[in-house]
Amino acid sequence: MIEDNASVAAAVRTMLERRKYAVDVAADGDAGLEHLLRQQYDAAIVDVVLPGRDGFDLARAARAQGVQTPLLMLTALDAVENRVRGLDCGADDYLVKPFVEEELFARLRAITRRADRPVRETLRAGTLEIDAAGREATVAGKRLPLGATEFRMLEFLTRNAGIAFTRERLLEHLWEYDFEGSSNIVDVYVSQLRRKLKNAGAGEVIRTVWGVGYKVEV
Amino acid sequence: MIARLTLRYLLVFAIVLALLSAGAYVFLAREYLALLQPALGTPEATQAYRAAMSRVTLTILAFDIPLLAIVGLASWLLARSSIEPLVEAREREREFAADAAHRLRSPLATIAAVAQAAKPEAPDRFAQNFDTIAQAALDASQAVGELLTLSRPAAAQLLQREPVDVAVLTKVVSKEFEARAEQRGLLITNRAQSAIVDGDERRLRELLRNLFDNALRHARTAITVDSRKNGRSVYLLISNDGDAVAQAYRERIFERAFSGDAQGSGLGLAVVRWIAQAHEGDAFVRDGEDGGAQFVVRLPCIQE
Repeated sequence: MIEDNASVAAAVRTMLERRKYAVDVAADGDAGLEHLLRQQYDAAIVDVVLPGRDGFDLARAARAQGVQTPLLMLTALDAVENRVRGLDCGADDYLVKPFVEEELFARLRAITRRADRPVRETLRAGTLEIDAAGREATVAGKRLPLGATEFRMLEFLTRNAGIAFTRERLLEHLWEYDFEGSSNIVDVYVSQLRRKLKNAGAGEVIRTVWGVGYKVEV
Repeated sequence: MIARLTLRYLLVFAIVLALLSAGAYVFLAREYLALLQPALGTPEATQAYRAAMSRVTLTILAFDIPLLAIVGLASWLLARSSIEPLVEAREREREFAADAAHRLRSPLATIAAVAQAAKPEAPDRFAQNFDTIAQAALDASQAVGELLTLSRPAAAQLLQREPVDVAVLTKVVSKEFEARAEQRGLLITNRAQSAIVDGDERRLRELLRNLFDNALRHARTAITVDSRKNGRSVYLLISNDGDAVAQAYRERIFERAFSGDAQGSGLGLAVVRWIAQAHEGDAFVRDGEDGGAQFVVRLPCIQE
């Protein structure tokens, strides 16, 4: 737990210890980074506003030095830019302060589940390359500008290349809900992705499988 | 904004200048005519008159064109000097609001975290108090966030847009409210049909949450969600079978800090309207089809 507010740090430590987690607390960014470099933690909770090195900086430095510990950013800043920035720095998830205890644990469970994946992972399909941790897609080395949902769809299809997914299955995966009615949202995203991929010169990455849905060719 | 004001200043000046020039031209034309009166009718006089008048036109233009250029520059300087302080003041206000929100949130975060951590250690008769403390801190923080939203004009540049199926979103959000609805014996029915909006998913979720929250507080037995498509707009209809909203309150409930009842921050519906308007849509309330209240959100949708 990297947090300069001693009361919050103590409270979170109590919550975590009650659930049998062992906790180290660091009160500033530099001490936090040292902890991350010295020891293999299951997860780190990082406050954004810290004396010295701030949370974004800490995440970037830790990732640059090969730290694979899942990072959960805690922020009182609710602005979109801040959350996006946090994830761009290599954090795995964020939680807005003040938070509900159950949500903190739900997020911690989610990021530790994901932790068995290597930090630097590149998915490929033709000239398309996806840096899953860096949340960036490139075509022949050139950055492909993608929205958050577009990225998630392309990553999901590429990660499961060769498998055809129905629209319902994609909807369920990307929006986490099974919608009984019919929705064109999946087609809207596929056509947007195809347009962007085509403009970047990647050719036909996402194929239509008649009567089923879509897939990325291996 | 500076360009618009410059044009407006320039337009006013151009009109004044045109009037003055036309006046000068007419005046001189008359003077010349009077001067040439005795010789009028002879070809020489007509020619002299024409030559004189074309010189007059050229002279007037020679004055007007550089004058317009100078005034254009002056208008721009004037517009800039009158608008810049306003822009700066607004920017300062925005920063102040963001900073104030952050400063308020930090202690609220401490209160919420400490109360939640302390609760399991507390004797039973106090446990509930810790829940109340934590909930109050969370509510206050939500109100701070809403005030921060409402402190800015509803503008599209504050959104992070991508295509969103609002019908799918109503399902996702209504699922969050299922447990609470069941507790109160309320049935949620959702008949919304797929409609894709170029919108900010997080903001639209917030909009729907506020409407569900409101419906949950006022419904007697049922909440229904429906949608209608009309050309380039989709209308989301969130109805409850509680009391209809009295005519006198239909606008007021969407104003900042008006609350018809004691619960809630009283800002929820103002935020609903803010989000709808930022998407170039709108929000209002009317009588439900079978009585009760129906909240309507209009959003422009993507043509498929």
